[in-house]
Amino acid sequence: MKEIYFNADAGYLEGVVRGYRDGLITAPQYMNLTQCETMDDLKLQLATTDYAPFLQNEPSPISTSTLSARCTDALVAEFQYLQQNSAEPVSRFLEYITYGYMIDNVILLITGTLHERDTHDLLEKCHPLGFFDTMPALCVATNVQDLYNTVMVDSPLAGYFRECLSAEDLNELNIEIIRNTLYKAYLEDFYSYCQSCGEPTSSIMAELLKFESDRRTVNITINSFGTELSKDDRAKLYPRLGNMYPEAQIRLARADDMDQVKSILEQYGDYKRMILSANMNASSDSAGGSDMSLEDIFFANEVQLNKDAFEQQFHFGVFYSWLRLKEQEIRNIVWIAECISQQQKDKVNKYTPIY
Amino acid sequence: MPFTRGWGQTRSRPKTSIFRSEIMSLVQLYIPSDVARFTVSQLGEMGLLQFRDLNDDVSAFQRSFVNDVRRFDELERKLRYLRTQIERSDVDIYDFFNEEAVAASRGPRDIDDMEEKIGAHEDRVLRLTAAYKDLQLKHLELIENKHVLEEVSSLFVEISGRQQTAAAPAPASASRASAGGAHDSVPLLGRSDSLSRRSIGSLDAAYAGDAGGYDVEGGRIGGGHDINIGFITGVIRRDRVATLERVLWRSLRGNMFLNYVDIEEPISDPKHDEPVYKSAFIVFAHGESLRDRATKISEALGATLYHVDRNAERRQEELIETMSRLDDLQQILENNNAARINELTNVSEQLNTWFTIVRKEKAIYHTLNLLNYDANRNCLIAEGWCATNDIPAIQSALHLATEDAGSNVPTVLHELRTTKEPPTFVRTNRFTDGFQNIVDAYGVPKAGEVNPGLFTCITFPFLFALMFGDLGHGFLMTICAALLCIYEKKLAWLAKDESLRMFYTGRYIVLLMGIFSMYTGLLYNDIFSRAMSMFSSGWQWPSDQGGEGVTVEATKLGHTYPVGIDPAWHHAGNSLLFTNSYKMKMSIVLGIIHMTLGICLQVPNALYFKKRINIVHVFVPQIIFLFSIFGYLVFAILFKWCTDWYARDAAGELTHISPPSLLNMLIYMFLSPGSVGESERMFRGQAALQTVLLLLALACVPWMLLVKPFILRREHQKIISEGYGRISSHVRVSSEDDAPGGAVIVSEQEEMQEDDFDFADIMINQTIHTIEFCLNSISNTASYLRLWALSLAHAQLSEVLWTMTFLPTLKMSGALQPIAIFCGFAVWFVLTFSILIGMEGLSAFLHALRLHWVEFNNKFYDGTGTKFEPFAFKTILDEAEE
Repeated sequence: MKEIYFNADAGYLEGVVRGYRDGLITAPQYMNLTQCETMDDLKLQLATTDYAPFLQNEPSPISTSTLSARCTDALVAEFQYLQQNSAEPVSRFLEYITYGYMIDNVILLITGTLHERDTHDLLEKCHPLGFFDTMPALCVATNVQDLYNTVMVDSPLAGYFRECLSAEDLNELNIEIIRNTLYKAYLEDFYSYCQSCGEPTSSIMAELLKFESDRRTVNITINSFGTELSKDDRAKLYPRLGNMYPEAQIRLARADDMDQVKSILEQYGDYKRMILSANMNASSDSAGGSDMSLEDIFFANEVQLNKDAFEQQFHFGVFYSWLRLKEQEIRNIVWIAECISQQQKDKVNKYTPIY
Repeated sequence: MPFTRGWGQTRSRPKTSIFRSEIMSLVQLYIPSDVARFTVSQLGEMGLLQFRDLNDDVSAFQRSFVNDVRRFDELERKLRYLRTQIERSDVDIYDFFNEEAVAASRGPRDIDDMEEKIGAHEDRVLRLTAAYKDLQLKHLELIENKHVLEEVSSLFVEISGRQQTAAAPAPASASRASAGGAHDSVPLLGRSDSLSRRSIGSLDAAYAGDAGGYDVEGGRIGGGHDINIGFITGVIRRDRVATLERVLWRSLRGNMFLNYVDIEEPISDPKHDEPVYKSAFIVFAHGESLRDRATKISEALGATLYHVDRNAERRQEELIETMSRLDDLQQILENNNAARINELTNVSEQLNTWFTIVRKEKAIYHTLNLLNYDANRNCLIAEGWCATNDIPAIQSALHLATEDAGSNVPTVLHELRTTKEPPTFVRTNRFTDGFQNIVDAYGVPKAGEVNPGLFTCITFPFLFALMFGDLGHGFLMTICAALLCIYEKKLAWLAKDESLRMFYTGRYIVLLMGIFSMYTGLLYNDIFSRAMSMFSSGWQWPSDQGGEGVTVEATKLGHTYPVGIDPAWHHAGNSLLFTNSYKMKMSIVLGIIHMTLGICLQVPNALYFKKRINIVHVFVPQIIFLFSIFGYLVFAILFKWCTDWYARDAAGELTHISPPSLLNMLIYMFLSPGSVGESERMFRGQAALQTVLLLLALACVPWMLLVKPFILRREHQKIISEGYGRISSHVRVSSEDDAPGGAVIVSEQEEMQEDDFDFADIMINQTIHTIEFCLNSISNTASYLRLWALSLAHAQLSEVLWTMTFLPTLKMSGALQPIAIFCGFAVWFVLTFSILIGMEGLSAFLHALRLHWVEFNNKFYDGTGTKFEPFAFKTILDEAEE
């Protein structure tokens, strides 16, 4: 039955977002981008893509940071167009998507304040999709209680903050804990919201969010090696969902090094294939080297999942997937731009292709 | 080879008409590199040559002239910047257009000059704008400061005024305030109701309880408690006030008081382009640290803070000083702005010219990027398509370009022989353009193919008019279209509007449709659904009416009505019967004629492509098939029309039995061949004739189906048996006479037309075609009945409209009649125009379109060509404008 009414509320937006998807840079275009010698060449090449209107009025020697900012502008403009034209229940779904950015912004501001950076600089670095009214006031917060009472209490994130209140003061570790706790609460909430949306949104988003959750779980595990985070605390940070929940999470919580993580991951067909296909360098035991490639594997897998989401119609997952793909594309462009501007052409092909 | 005939004629300028597309030549130009730019520019002005991309495999930024393209991209960006600045400061862009500078060829030095000028202008405008923004920022600060001073002092005045009257009941009010935070309990910081006011209960209570009397002016606490209550003042965007208050309230745990006043006028903030509404606010908080906090929060939320003194006199002084500084700044700002406007005005005079030049130059370099260098890189080689007739014009353009460049090395042009399918170029004019567009929307004609556009020019409006036959409606339509045609230069702007463009570009179509509708209206004897009695009718109604409900019969007079339908039919009871039968038959007759024309057009096609087989084994059986069934029907229709079925012989007996039904005749021709019912007989020998025709038609089916494929197979086998194989299909592309240096463009390897012979394939195709043709000849004939259906609908609709809206008002009597007639006419006319002419016209248009695309075109037209798109500045500039 839902399908009958789907187009009344979301048909236009779905059409738009599929159009956006078709605007994503394709393999031959990436080929052209990677062959560029200078940033100007890159700009010229990008002039044939959807980024053209945002780049055409930039004076010619363009820097990587401006490029990245303009690309983000393009993303934001498209997303905001979707938001402005949306009605319930799509608007709610899109709002949920922005919460992730809000969390990032909150953490950025708190960290910045901790290091006594200028507030206005920090505000400029915030992701425009994650803006909320009281956000700028974060800069006065000095402890968690304060943070919640002053700013977060009437932001959409208030509900997620409840679990963080136990932390006492703000230091590096606590901020990381706050970030992960927030994200955990966010993912769980988003997941339960998606489940309430009914098929096929629920099943498609479940897959995407489970993957996201697994990725976070693995990242938390790897990042907590060599820190003072206790294993129990670590387990508390894992989102309570995902393919690896709960059995593998319990084991991950006890893991001590990369090899253990890998062996746990290998018990899951999908992840095992992922790891094998990327043939991780067994010799580099150091967390740094293999960590990097693991991230790339996750990115590649995410791209695949998000592409798959477009195979089905009448669900909201396309909005989420498109945003993720677009983000990946911007990461790719910035990577290529960095390689070009730093004359590291040998690494230029290490982007994650999408289409 | 299909094009050999065309090639044979190239030397003696082939005649051109819209009947076939132009004969095209693939030409190759050897352009010395120093003249290249001039040559391409000259060719762009002429717009006669479509360049081929010779660097297909080279990506955009690796081509030779990419730096030049980039240079003009940059210039265009600068111009765009200048234009936005001009638009933003409301300077008019001059429409003045330096034709000379644009049209003449420009040397590299002119371009350098222009680049320098544009650069300088951009620099200056950038600097002036930056300075202007700076000043505006200062101006903004001063204005905000002024507002803060004004508003805050009014706050203070208010407070101190209240304080004197309310000092006494303060302690009492404290208890009340803590109970409920009532509004009137805060004399200290209350404001008159006209000003927006926020107060927070517990704070008020704290104040009242602590202070009792707080002398704001003096900044000391009357009650003797030494609490350091300070305040900060500033300006913030109006929609942020609530947030600010909320955040402050929370983070200072309620130990603050905020009051704000909306600044009435919007303030233009140079950071945003539009004016912003702001509010001045004051926050009281006690304690240094809390104040710092408040400061930090307000700044983070985007407020600008200004210092305001507690002392009223000092505030007054400050205000006066601010005002005077504001005046000074205003002066400077105006001067600066004047200089900026002046500069921009200067730019605006040239802007359009520069834009055009830059776009042209960019197009030139884009085109140069399509060209190839020869081996020793002093020549550029271009390849492209042009009409063979235009080669002399191109050659003269090449000469001109060489002269312009002051070079004495001429550009060499030669024609290449090729088997490539050339693009299709149909030379149209204002009149034929619209009709050709109708055809192109179905498919662009293949090179050399008969172009249906020629016939469409007349058949289209004619078929339309058959469905739209009304003299009055046709007249209105003609007038509208004629106005569009007469004032076409003045109305050219219509073409820019998306919905009006259709009417503007199709104005000649509409004109013809209107004229033809007047003609058919005359034949149908319809003017706004009324009949015209221009001549004396051939019928006479009996003079005694007989009364209501009595059927009267008109008597026939000696003569026939000279043109069209006799007006006497108009009110006859059987008028519908008559017109229906008449229009239905007319549709069939015209439809068969139209289709016959379509089938016959296969002949010129077959002659042109030298395919005799298509005439003998496709065209002939098809035409026989069509004529033996539907041609016979047409004959029967005409025969029936020509016979007087009620004629009586000398003895007064009817000479004919009764008029036969043609539909039955056609059906029984198939069902019971060889016999015709006595009542159905029209002439002697009918049965025999019908049998022969039927047999003929049946014989045509296997003829169409089998003969052509088997002939093709025999020919193919003959070629094979003679040992030629497939070599015949490999004709190499090469220049006719080898160029000096022998630099021949290598384009031979490009896709050759392989005509692999596959008998099964041909057989299947032929089967499909045959079945399609036989079925279509029936369904298409029926499809032409839409001519009748639509014209019936049109006539009935206009009749209804007349009797429902206008007619009643004419029958009225009394004083109101004039007004009723006026209104009735207005309604009738508006509906006539919008529904009958607008919507009915559109529907008739679409049906005429369908009859052309489906019923006519599929008889002979491939429409698989590609359109000729010459490199022309005009199209490039038009595109850039949009």
